[in-house]
Amino acid sequence: MSLKSYSRGRAIHVMLVYTGGCNGCDIEIVNCILSPKFDAEQYKVFLTWNPREADVLVVTGPVTKHNEKPLREIYKAIPEPKAVVAAGACALMGGVYKNCHGDIPSEEIAGPVDQIIPVDAKVPGCAVRPQDIVAGLVSALPLLLNAD
Amino acid sequence: MDDNKQNRKVIEAEVPMGPVHPAALEPYRLRLFVEDEIVRDAEMTVGVNHRGVERIMEGLPVEKANSLTEKICGICSNSHIWNSCRTAEIALDIEVPERAIYIRIIMEELERLHSHMLYLAHGCEVLGHETFSMRLFYIRETVMDLLGMIGGNRVQYGSAVLGGVRPRCELDEMRLQKITEGMDLLEEKISAFADRFVSDPMVMSRITGVGLISQKDALRLACTGPTLRATGVANDLRTVMFEYDPFDFDVITQDDGDVKSQLLMRVFENFEAIKIIRQAVRDLPEGPITNRSWEMKDVPLTKSYIEVPRGTLYHSYALEDGRVRNCVIRTPSMANIGAMQYACIGHHITDAQLSIVQCDPCFTCTDRAIEIINI
Repeated sequence: MSLKSYSRGRAIHVMLVYTGGCNGCDIEIVNCILSPKFDAEQYKVFLTWNPREADVLVVTGPVTKHNEKPLREIYKAIPEPKAVVAAGACALMGGVYKNCHGDIPSEEIAGPVDQIIPVDAKVPGCAVRPQDIVAGLVSALPLLLNAD
Repeated sequence: MDDNKQNRKVIEAEVPMGPVHPAALEPYRLRLFVEDEIVRDAEMTVGVNHRGVERIMEGLPVEKANSLTEKICGICSNSHIWNSCRTAEIALDIEVPERAIYIRIIMEELERLHSHMLYLAHGCEVLGHETFSMRLFYIRETVMDLLGMIGGNRVQYGSAVLGGVRPRCELDEMRLQKITEGMDLLEEKISAFADRFVSDPMVMSRITGVGLISQKDALRLACTGPTLRATGVANDLRTVMFEYDPFDFDVITQDDGDVKSQLLMRVFENFEAIKIIRQAVRDLPEGPITNRSWEMKDVPLTKSYIEVPRGTLYHSYALEDGRVRNCVIRTPSMANIGAMQYACIGHHITDAQLSIVQCDPCFTCTDRAIEIINI
């Protein structure tokens, strides 16, 4: 293990971007990192709101048209190596908001997250469970640690 | 407010924030017009989250539309599904069994507990005390476990269905026992937190006198829910809802209208919620939990108001061939936007975020199609 990946593994910073879901996944993710019950911070995973110091981008919600451009810019601002985790049914496939009435796509939604930025790990659930979030984050870690 | 903006006399600099900003959990756009670090005007723009739930609901069968309303908000999901079912029940004259009403109220008050606890945790994080915030998230887990036990999911539990509650949410002896134990634990933990919170001189000096909303302005800005009650107006829709008739509880009010009274307001409301849950568990009537003997008919526009953790929630729709038409949803956070803007004005720019958070914003609820008139 190189020095870079060793030091990276001691401080994984997670940035949460919220693109128009229902708040449920969002709070569960904050809960899973901050709350002493799940406490991802004991594994050196920290929550940040600054894209320039983030390693993992967690995206929740179906990306609304207004949120498409900010999401791309945030993705660009995160330094390499980076991993993207899409969390929740809305982020994976648009959830209940993707279509109105059968197959007619809703004009408010720009599509699931993987149509806008590349996604490395997907966490299903409506709303996602904190245990699944931790599993999803862990599954995305090799991308960061084996980067160089 | 508008005069300042048009004349550009006192406005020295503009601080734009958002839609995605480190200080704000949810996406919204905020423009602060500052003069020597004092906020002179604030403008909040929502609409980033607009997903058009009413549009998707249009023409759906009423049962499907009910379960869709739950996805409007992940914090007050039970309130939306309850009020949507309540609208249809009023329209179709469905008599809800008493046991189902009690179970709905237990869910609603559990939701009030977790929503208020989340509000306090968010508030403590914004004011810079992360230890309190973590502590509150830990206390909140007790409620989340109870909600997960009853509904099967920690966030979207979907307890209410047309004519009663889902069979999964039936409360047997073991569940009632667990709720009772949970309430004892919660009361102990929240009391300990409240003692620690009010005796902390650092926190008290940070929040006293910040984000003032006077009673007159709160009424003028049409605030609702705890935001209004914290300014001294005893306005609670639970006192007039027939579902809450058998329960004995107090309407909590605070006098000051600053961040301190807003935060303490939620602490005291938690105890009232615990009181209501205990009464409901003690007096839970026997009987069926769903009423399936109802017929679909065409109904003109029907409306329903209930009191949810953030204030007054309004749903209205008409029914045609069993399908939802002309749905309108008015959420409490939407009514509080004016107060959020107003509370920033005249305070230091570092208090602006705290002044907004004190009104308990939930921008997923807020993004409805609305017309704002100048007041």
